[in-house]
Amino acid sequence: MYKIYSEHFVLPPGYTKKLLLFMKLTTLMLFLAFMQVSASTLAQKVTLSERNASLTTIFEQIRNQTGYDFAYTTSTIKAAKLVTIDVKNVDLNEVLDRIFSGQPLNYTIENKSVVVSIKEASLFDQLSAKVKAVLNIPTEIGGTVTDTLGHPLVGATVSIKGKNLITQTDSKGNFSFPNMPQGNYTLVVSYIGYEKLETSITNTGKYEHLAFVLRLGSSQLDQVRVIAYGTDSRRFSVGSVSTVTAADIEKQPISNPLLALQGQAPGLNVTATSGIPGSQVLVQVRGQNSLNLTQIPNQNPQKPYDQPLFIIDGVPFASQNNNVNQFASLVAAQSNSGGINPANTGISPFGNIDPADIESISILKDADATSIYGTQGSNGVILITTKKGKPGATTFDLNVNTGFNSVGRPVQLLNTQQYLQLRKDAYASDGVTPTNDPNNFLGYAPDLTIFDQNKYTNWGKVIYGQNTTNTDVHGSLSGGSATNTFLISTGYNRSTYNYPGDFADQRYTLHSNIHHNSQDYRLTIDLTTDFGYDQNNSAGFGGGTDVVLPPNLPNLRDPSGNLLWNYKGVDLTSDQFYSTLLQPTDLQNYNFNTAFHISYKLFDGLSIGTNLGYNRNTTDENSINPGVAQNPAYLNRQANFSANTFQTVNIEPQINYNKNIGKGVFSALIGSTYKKNTNNSTYTTGQGYSNDNFLGSINSAPTVAAMDGYNIYKYSAGFARLNYIYDSEFILNLTGRRDGSSNFGPGRQFGNFGSVGAGWIFSEEKIFKKSPSVLSYGKLSGSYGTSGSDGATAYQYQALYASFPNYLPNFQGIRPSFPFNLYNPDYSWALKKSLNLALDLGFFNNRLLFNATYYRDRESNQLVNYPLPIQSGFPTVLGNLDATIQNQGLEFAVSSTNIKAQNFTWKTNFNVSFNRNKLLAFPNLANSSYASTYEIGQPTSIIYGYKYKDVNPQTGLFEFYTKNGTVTSSPAYGPASTGGDEVPIGNLEIKYTGGLGNTFTYKQFSLYIFCQFSSRNAPNYLAEIYSTNQLGLEYNQPVAVLNNYWKAPGDVAQLQRLASSYGSTAIGPAIRFPQSSGAYGDDTYLRIKTASLSYQVPNTLLNKVHIKAASVFVNGQNLLTFTDYKVGDPETPGVFTSFPIQRILAFGLNLKF
Amino acid sequence: MIMKKIFFTINKTVIGLVFVALSFASCKKLIEIPANPPSSITQKQQFADSSTAMTAIAGIYAYNAGNGFAYSDAALTYSTGFSSDELSYTRSNDNQQFYNYTLTPLNTGISSLWSYPYQSIYQVNAVLNGVTNNSGLSSSFQKQITGEMEVVRSLYYFNMVNLFGGVPLVTSTSYSTTDRLPRATVAAIYTQVLTDLTDARKKLTATYPSAGRARPNLYTAIALLAKVNLYQNNWQSAYNEADSVIRSGNYNLEPSLNNVFLDGSNEAIWQLPANQGYYGVADAQYFVPFFSTPGYLLTAPLLNAFETGDQRLQNWVASTTVNGNTVSYPYKYKNTSASTTPTEDQMVLRLGELYLIRAEAAAHLSNLTQALADVNTIRARAGLAASTASATSQVAVLNAVMHERQVELFCEWGNRWYDLKRTGTAAAVLGAEKTGFSANAELYPIPQAQILLNNLLTQNPGY
Repeated sequence: MYKIYSEHFVLPPGYTKKLLLFMKLTTLMLFLAFMQVSASTLAQKVTLSERNASLTTIFEQIRNQTGYDFAYTTSTIKAAKLVTIDVKNVDLNEVLDRIFSGQPLNYTIENKSVVVSIKEASLFDQLSAKVKAVLNIPTEIGGTVTDTLGHPLVGATVSIKGKNLITQTDSKGNFSFPNMPQGNYTLVVSYIGYEKLETSITNTGKYEHLAFVLRLGSSQLDQVRVIAYGTDSRRFSVGSVSTVTAADIEKQPISNPLLALQGQAPGLNVTATSGIPGSQVLVQVRGQNSLNLTQIPNQNPQKPYDQPLFIIDGVPFASQNNNVNQFASLVAAQSNSGGINPANTGISPFGNIDPADIESISILKDADATSIYGTQGSNGVILITTKKGKPGATTFDLNVNTGFNSVGRPVQLLNTQQYLQLRKDAYASDGVTPTNDPNNFLGYAPDLTIFDQNKYTNWGKVIYGQNTTNTDVHGSLSGGSATNTFLISTGYNRSTYNYPGDFADQRYTLHSNIHHNSQDYRLTIDLTTDFGYDQNNSAGFGGGTDVVLPPNLPNLRDPSGNLLWNYKGVDLTSDQFYSTLLQPTDLQNYNFNTAFHISYKLFDGLSIGTNLGYNRNTTDENSINPGVAQNPAYLNRQANFSANTFQTVNIEPQINYNKNIGKGVFSALIGSTYKKNTNNSTYTTGQGYSNDNFLGSINSAPTVAAMDGYNIYKYSAGFARLNYIYDSEFILNLTGRRDGSSNFGPGRQFGNFGSVGAGWIFSEEKIFKKSPSVLSYGKLSGSYGTSGSDGATAYQYQALYASFPNYLPNFQGIRPSFPFNLYNPDYSWALKKSLNLALDLGFFNNRLLFNATYYRDRESNQLVNYPLPIQSGFPTVLGNLDATIQNQGLEFAVSSTNIKAQNFTWKTNFNVSFNRNKLLAFPNLANSSYASTYEIGQPTSIIYGYKYKDVNPQTGLFEFYTKNGTVTSSPAYGPASTGGDEVPIGNLEIKYTGGLGNTFTYKQFSLYIFCQFSSRNAPNYLAEIYSTNQLGLEYNQPVAVLNNYWKAPGDVAQLQRLASSYGSTAIGPAIRFPQSSGAYGDDTYLRIKTASLSYQVPNTLLNKVHIKAASVFVNGQNLLTFTDYKVGDPETPGVFTSFPIQRILAFGLNLKF
Repeated sequence: MIMKKIFFTINKTVIGLVFVALSFASCKKLIEIPANPPSSITQKQQFADSSTAMTAIAGIYAYNAGNGFAYSDAALTYSTGFSSDELSYTRSNDNQQFYNYTLTPLNTGISSLWSYPYQSIYQVNAVLNGVTNNSGLSSSFQKQITGEMEVVRSLYYFNMVNLFGGVPLVTSTSYSTTDRLPRATVAAIYTQVLTDLTDARKKLTATYPSAGRARPNLYTAIALLAKVNLYQNNWQSAYNEADSVIRSGNYNLEPSLNNVFLDGSNEAIWQLPANQGYYGVADAQYFVPFFSTPGYLLTAPLLNAFETGDQRLQNWVASTTVNGNTVSYPYKYKNTSASTTPTEDQMVLRLGELYLIRAEAAAHLSNLTQALADVNTIRARAGLAASTASATSQVAVLNAVMHERQVELFCEWGNRWYDLKRTGTAAAVLGAEKTGFSANAELYPIPQAQILLNNLLTQNPGY
């Protein structure tokens, strides 16, 4: 029925020529009477939605819908551009106009056939052109620049090669070079995020309206990415910025978006503190800049781990990455001794942000990228940008998946027989006879003398053995026109705990964005609103580490489920694991974020605008200790209620200015910031309730205690960024900021920060241009600048007295107060100076991109909670420390499209980073509190300890080297400087870390495999045994210790003889062991972090059921780990009893309507 | 040329705007916050008048770990109880290290025995700073408070020197001078203690400054002075001071043993309200078992020291059965909840101890009759007959005094541990009763963390 001309035309070559001639003639005739044709209206309506489709595809679709045939030859449309169009029920002629706009083609309609021909000038035009050519009259060269959807690109740069001429498009995308002499010109059109277009034209003296259509950059080099107060592309950037996009995030079955960053960006460390749903994820950019003292016991420094500034849609996240919980629960009970302070574990505020709502995450690392944030950016900045609507037909996108979780690396513990043997060996080793009499406390061993010797409970299985599920549903509705777009999305996530009981983290989110441009594109309004509700039910504190309970422990519950508190007179209170399950801790976190942006273009090149942002993050918690969970011998029903609110108000008026100067483009951003941060918290405890059913309310509590907390931070700044790009080849970027912070005392509140960045795109040089080479892009760039840090709490510059917490009684009717802090009126900004040098290369038409970056950050005038010996009254005082810490490193990133065939593509992304930290200077270190903690020239993660030798075969005790090289089982405490035997035994710095991702697509199938790897020196599992669960005491142990401990003289063993109590003589060496090199080891792993397989259902099947697209997928997380690290998870080294990192396998479905 | 043009443009259009932006930033108004957070006030406001100043003083007597009376958490009692021959410990943690002298500088109990007193001493020094020469406070108030603070400070240093030997002597709040102080000598600490108490004696009056006997009066200073002088072998001073307290007529032994530790006890010289929140006095909370197995058991040597018929064994010791074995625990304080009546208070100094101080001093001064009389006063209250010690043998009388101290003052303020050490009998007694004792064990180690923070601190020998 249909004639497919193109196929026939190709076959006989001669025939084609004839037809062409005929076509040309026809065209000529048609042009002479062109009014007749274009006036004819076509009643046919067309609906099309295509991106970057070839004309043949479009024609096919129109033919299907209208019955119109298309007459053309393959060579005619050879020069045609790809078409992106999105129309619904639009007249055919309008659709055709759109399709042919900007194409070097014309079309005519004859008898339900569309005849396509190469565009040629009319006779009159040809004539007048000839006249003009003869007279050589200068003519305007002008036209429009649009994107493939036909939207004008405002501010695109158009330059004429070889001439000193450059202009920018106006608000309708128009540009013009008036009075250009006739001749040949090469026009270069560029716009951030779009592929550069270079076209040769001939000015014949006749004005021709040039229509340039820029295509979205398909190369990563030209993709738009979010930076501080704007966007840029990698091509023209001189700053160090990494981005992770929605495409990378959506393949990972994770519920905390920070986890999606793991291994994805060079220079970024992401650490999961545990596998508990909702738990904290720590993030660090390019190493630790400030001195921290997490390795010193009895200290609780306020700033233990540098984390970057988090900004969501331009609004600083109110809680930043701090724990939002106030109550200790199963979540907070986790301790990660792998160099991270346990104070950082808790509920993550980012658990309330749906990863599916995130469009991109930018990680700003160097001074050029972060200086504009002044004092806030010194530890790097993470910008999270949420999804926005896209013009086009209204689309509903539904994503559903269910995951199945299990322990990533389970730890096998001893069974009853093995455990009892271990305990007997311990008593034998101490020469003590186990007894059932508590008066003989050294020999008192109820597990050996009173408990059933054959009973076996696998506590690891009871506590972590459940396979649990993870359900995620996300729906989003979006669409709009060129000037108005919208997006509304909602999500639900439920992750259950791998823990007995009904514990889960549930999240409900609602995200929306509306975007409006006025018809003349002068006014722009953008409003993004996010609401998230997260509910985390968890159990009472400390239940997790109960995996080391004796395996022959008597029943802790009677057959009807009541808790048992003693067995034959032996008190079981401290072993009563099930009690914690009956003490639910319920956390509800509400996150509300709204970002409003308005800008108005006063005239081309200058626009003014404002960002208004508000973020409120509120957490309500409720935990109860009901009677059923308690020993009836001492009953105190208790309920705790707390609220914790973080708020940020952020106002940032801005002026943007763009102008072409010479062969370059100059742009300026001037703005100011007003920010107010508050944190209010309350904590109420009710005691002595008469009935468990009252525990939901404070009203029934006979005794009530309440506390509150308050912090305020105000910040204001003026900032400017000046950028000049000369001839698309040389880039200069200057930023500056003047900051004021309320955290400092009078006279110290203001500081100035700035940076200089420069780049040279050397591939623009003639030498590269002339000869075709594999190198398609090359850039050298560098930046140097300063940023600061005011990371302190308010009011520390004066001496304060505070009241005793409310739960303590008055003293004789007087509310007692106590000195709250040591004060130091003189502290001020820490200063970080950053140098960044980068080489960017693109090969094979930018199919392979390579980046190498060297950086060197030096933070001085450190603002720290300076630790003091307690004899001074307080453990710390806030102050500046005249020490300099350097972080320098190398980062490499490669992204490549290895194979791009019709049905098969293979893409690879790889990054690796090496950070080296060093204490450069510390005047008077020897006489400071840090004398025994740091060493000049060494990393700050240095650890002091004893050099471990081995187990003495005769005494059976651990042996260590003293500082003089002699061997002893009781080395002297403290570093050599204080007369002890501790020497630097290593450092906990991550040696290298990175990620490798491969994406394969074959027809409808897509497979993504992402591996993350890391290498460091870290505590091994023995660190936990010998610091908390002494080997030989009443704790179960990993099977790894079996047959590995010393028993009799002559034994060559890995572990020393067992201790039966803290009174054992083996205890001295045992508690020294965690401070020795024996407790540290290599922690190198490669983990298949994500594996995702998806299948795109073919459209032919879907059209019938009115589904635009559908795919099914299976995503895996933490599937496989390659490591030599023994016992426990290498990601959370040094602890094997904490809530384990989960292996997730998720099955899902994605539908687009 | 181009650069010139750029600069021109910058000058013309941008610089002006930069100034606008910067002036916005420099506006101090934008970053103004209230003068103090709602939950705290400045030091100046704190000592503006006597009633506000009293809240800071209340903060010294009220218990709050790290910020308040340092020895209300029973740690001093049980740690020294393990180290001497009073207590053993049934749970597996590093408290057991006190018992058989395997203590290390990493021990967590040691850390609080060191930290809390220093945090309290800072509070005391801060109050002394705040009231001294403060024109907003009356001179009588200044005098009263200064005297009280000196008594409190001397109590802390007295215990510190007995636990650790010489310790850094901190008498100021300036961290830049105190953070690098090395250990002072034992003599220097005692000099400071005696100076403080002597000065307090001049400043305080016989009237207690507030309800009950919660804040030191003149006799508190004298009683503590008696104890310090006894430890320093200043027998005559100890005798005179103990004597003046006993003779003051303000204090009487409680006839019933069960009333000794109650609020309002006539025997109390210094007695702090129970500040353990809901729980009452910490000693009861720690020693009286909530559940079946007590954590802290009285040892056989102590239980055997009680003579038959000693009412103290009936009233101050309690027992329970675990798996058929009888175990005993201290029962001087009985209330595990603050709401239980009658109310118990934390006893710091009581007349019973003063009788025994006078007895010991008298024995050394060869006034053996007086010594035996005082011992018998205490024995009579416990339902025992007069001591059988020969009234002509100083050794026998001293032994009688020391025996009476063991059973009267057990599990109170480390008296037994201090007595064994100061009388040079620790090695003989403890060496015989359990293994591991050495002369070095008489001083606890300085916490390792503190040495790391101040490397001028030297560790005690043997650690």
